[in-house]
Amino acid sequence: MNPEDLKYHKEHTWVKVSGKKATVGITDYAQDALGDIVYIDLPEPETAVEANSELAEIESTKATSSVISPVSGTVIEVNENLSESPEIINEEPYGKGWVAVLEIEDAAELDELMDSTDYEKYVEEEAK
Amino acid sequence: MKIAILGAGPGGYVAAIKAAQLGAEVTIIESTEVGGTCLNWGCIPTKTLLASAEVYAKTKELDSFGIDMSGSISPNMQKILERKNKVISTQVKGIRGLFKSWGVTLKEGRGTFISPGEIKVQMKDAPEETVTADAFIIATGSRPAQIPAFPFDGKNIISSTEALELKEIPKSLLIVGAGVIGCEFACIYSELGSEVTIVELMPRAVSTEDEAVSKLLEKELKKKKVKLITEIKVEKVEVKDDGVHVFLSNGKELVAEKVLVSIGRAFNTNGIGLENAGVSMGPRKEIPVNEKLQTNVPHIYAIGDVTGGILLAHIASKQGIIAAENIMGADKKFDSSVVPAAIFTSPEIGSVGLREHQAKEKGLDYKTGEFQFRALGKAHAMGEISGFIKIIAEKSSDKILGAHIIGPHASDLIHEFAVAMHGGLKVKDIAETIHAHPTLSEGLMEAAEDVHGAAIHMPKK
Repeated sequence: MNPEDLKYHKEHTWVKVSGKKATVGITDYAQDALGDIVYIDLPEPETAVEANSELAEIESTKATSSVISPVSGTVIEVNENLSESPEIINEEPYGKGWVAVLEIEDAAELDELMDSTDYEKYVEEEAK
Repeated sequence: MKIAILGAGPGGYVAAIKAAQLGAEVTIIESTEVGGTCLNWGCIPTKTLLASAEVYAKTKELDSFGIDMSGSISPNMQKILERKNKVISTQVKGIRGLFKSWGVTLKEGRGTFISPGEIKVQMKDAPEETVTADAFIIATGSRPAQIPAFPFDGKNIISSTEALELKEIPKSLLIVGAGVIGCEFACIYSELGSEVTIVELMPRAVSTEDEAVSKLLEKELKKKKVKLITEIKVEKVEVKDDGVHVFLSNGKELVAEKVLVSIGRAFNTNGIGLENAGVSMGPRKEIPVNEKLQTNVPHIYAIGDVTGGILLAHIASKQGIIAAENIMGADKKFDSSVVPAAIFTSPEIGSVGLREHQAKEKGLDYKTGEFQFRALGKAHAMGEISGFIKIIAEKSSDKILGAHIIGPHASDLIHEFAVAMHGGLKVKDIAETIHAHPTLSEGLMEAAEDVHGAAIHMPKK
């Protein structure tokens, strides 16, 4: 169920790369674990973000947690629709619920990430 | 014993009643209105406006509470101000009633020392009078600071005093200073519909609070669409035809309908004849006092804001009680080790004791506990889940060094920690006390349990 064309980070975020642009979001497992999402604190465009650091902060009715960036780069676009309707993330984590687009610096970082098969195994382990 | 008190704010009026209770013959002199800044232009009116703003904010969530609405709802500034004025006048009457009941003589007029033992009062609607006394308490307070870069005109460039009297909700409001006053007004006017921008010199909002509290408040301000610009100085403010132009240190220029300047307060030491009484002032024009609250002239005491300490009404009141007791023969010292403070942003902030960065700077061996309001059933029922409770405790003794709450009713909840600190209680004492369910106070117990890694309503770490 996790799209095959994405790469996954162990903090339950995904990235889809096309050229220098990387679209980032949270996984279906993450949205399910968080429960109803009520707010997302989006980064400002032009913010520089390091891989494995906080890109955004999500508030659900259960918890507040960080969206960890799977790659390093500069924020070039954020999903403004989420400001008014953060529940889109629950509904379509891999589609309309994307969080931000980064311009990436080092494509080699992608090699550190999991593919969908590995991520599914990883999630199964986590759930145990 | 005859005591004369200059200023009937939260310091002076409390001192007057206490002194009268202890048997003194008390005269209190007030140039504006009893209750002072706190009641007339500060604490109480801001909370009254905030209450209106919060009711209006709730109406935007009616659907989520299952209330259908037809028709429109909008804030009416005239009625909001009427309500505010009514609240104030009720409280003013209350204080006047207490004076009468305790036999305190109120002289309404401007008081000036003419000697170390006499105050001349320019009465509002009567001739001049001279009040003599054996001891004096100066409680003249403070006022919004004015600096030349911000030419206040009371209309477009305003202080907190005028911000409480705006006949219309400004379309846009730029606030200089993200301290307590700036952030409170940002919440009030953004909820009422103004487009609010705050410019702050420091790196964060409410910079005297714990960093985690500032961070959460900044996020909540963002949710209200308040724009916060930090580490930027306002160089110049100019009124032009299309609004007030604000020139920033980064070269940018902003325009707003009104500019509210909240960059601190100045002490009311001018024109009260301190030189005639021999009372000396400090470098900031404050009146320095010793622990017993005496000025350099032993029979003249000073309390509250005018002494240049922390500007809080409840500190002034406590000092008023101590000064009155000392004049009446006691030997009490003002202890500022446990002073709770409240900030009425939405959500509210309550704090007492050390901030985490202070504990770090002091090199203390401490541990922290934290609990999110969103883990409480009561917070969900109320529809107010943002915020947390944080405790800083000494590792070796388990004593509470500081506590910080941002969230619903934080200003009330903080006092459990204040009592615990005053009594020297341990984190364990709060953790082991049964807290009623379902309440927000349960969160305090859970935060205490979290100091020991044992909160129930938190996932395993």
